[in-house]
Amino acid sequence: METIEKKENLSTENSLRIITETMERSRMAIAKNSGKTILMWGVLVAVTSIVVYFLWSKTGSPVWNLLWFAMGAIGGIGTAINSRNREKVPVNEISRVVGKTWMWYGIMTTAFYALIWVAAYIKSKCCGGGIINVNITLIIVMMMGIAGVVSGVVMKMKSIVACCVVATLLSVLVALLVNGPEQILVFTILGVVALVIPGLILQNKGKSLNK
Amino acid sequence: MAENVKQFKPLDPLLHSELRLAVMSILVGVEDADFVYIKAQTGSTSGNLSVQIDKLSSAGYIEVEKTFKGKKPCTICRITEKGREAFAEYVDTLKQYLAL
Repeated sequence: METIEKKENLSTENSLRIITETMERSRMAIAKNSGKTILMWGVLVAVTSIVVYFLWSKTGSPVWNLLWFAMGAIGGIGTAINSRNREKVPVNEISRVVGKTWMWYGIMTTAFYALIWVAAYIKSKCCGGGIINVNITLIIVMMMGIAGVVSGVVMKMKSIVACCVVATLLSVLVALLVNGPEQILVFTILGVVALVIPGLILQNKGKSLNK
Repeated sequence: MAENVKQFKPLDPLLHSELRLAVMSILVGVEDADFVYIKAQTGSTSGNLSVQIDKLSSAGYIEVEKTFKGKKPCTICRITEKGREAFAEYVDTLKQYLAL
């Protein structure tokens, strides 16, 4: 990285270059920081989906889906530890929008999942049957895809938008065609393509700018 | 004849310095930034950065808050409204010079 020291004889072209380069370097440092968090969540989603698939297939019980709540708790703790340990990186509009988008995705998904259980309980008590016919995976996948695309658009990273669009469309197709434990594997696709790969792209961008 | 000569506004001398301009370019895009981050982004020395931050602070372009992060001292810089306006004016003047 070029060192900026005290040089008073600035040309107008140089001034413009300093402004552009410094802003871009700072933007990428902040994006790289978001990359670490996105990468961590991607690994968690992929690993949890494989674990849930394995246990559901072995036992035949979908109750293992409750592990998603444990994943949310582990991810939350991990994010808090990560933000405490890493170098202090400021907040800009981009990191704020990306952070809030994923925070609200998490809140809405958890609320949605909890409401399905509540609705099933109410239905079983008053209507005699507790089955809610809704493709939960499909809806969660769509919401996750939108959150990913919004993140990519805000960060002006076409590769991330492309990853999220491809992963979401592929996952939606699988979620429509497959049922049972195998359907959970769409989260492995999403975790890797929509979170792990974008996380690595962001980290590499940040590293290349610091060279 | 004199009417044909385009009058350029002078560039703000406080911003027309590499390090001070870089500091302002960082702060204009974030809520606030700590000294360590600014130092890493500009690649400057602590001494020089402190001097330039003091100059920007004295001009009212930035606010400096000295706190502690655990037991370590922490200096947080934040751009002020005056600083934001000065930076915008500086960029506008630059554009005039470069005929952008």
